[in-house]
Amino acid sequence: MAIQIVMNRTGDSRHSFNPDEQQELAKAEQRFYELTNAGFTAAVRTGPGQTLHIRSFDANAEETVFFPRLVGG
Amino acid sequence: MFGFRPLPPGGRSRRRATRALFIRHGAEGTPEGRSLRLLREWLSPTQREQFAKRGYFEVIGSDSGKRYRIHAGASVNVCEMDERGRPLEGLCFMPIGALPIGDVMLAQKIALETCEREVRAVARRFTPNGFHFRQARPLG
Repeated sequence: MAIQIVMNRTGDSRHSFNPDEQQELAKAEQRFYELTNAGFTAAVRTGPGQTLHIRSFDANAEETVFFPRLVGG
Repeated sequence: MFGFRPLPPGGRSRRRATRALFIRHGAEGTPEGRSLRLLREWLSPTQREQFAKRGYFEVIGSDSGKRYRIHAGASVNVCEMDERGRPLEGLCFMPIGALPIGDVMLAQKIALETCEREVRAVARRFTPNGFHFRQARPLG
């Protein structure tokens, strides 16, 4: 199972999907582009504490985190 | 006179440790607790240790190789460090949407480690001082 974690004011929303299931994968891909088109940044873990900013959907990513657009305080 | 009893030796540190344990585990169901758990999962072992012991962790900027310290906080909590480990310049930036503290800190870590230039373009600068980075309660 893979997971997409979307940060929000409740902490986060988690969406699990089976990357071997075409329908679930398509839904995850659709969610990815809906969020990134809305300004969210997507990142995956590449090792302990190591992160990678991704701009296109990665079907092999086990865990993707999304956070909203950054602004100056 | 007022019934105050001095704490036994080690009592203060035990009390602090108990409080930290309560916050860490008792608050897991809250937005803040969930966000801090996610943050800890995404930190490197070194960053996790720094956060637990000192209330901050350090990251390296993806473009410049500069070192930044992310303190516990949701704003006015990031500082660029010089080569001697002294605060150089404060950067204030955060994701929109009133996110809980752990999510804000994780977004700051990822952003500095993967798209530092974009962060520096939006961040507001401030002169860092001890008051900004005071840790009011244990979070790591």
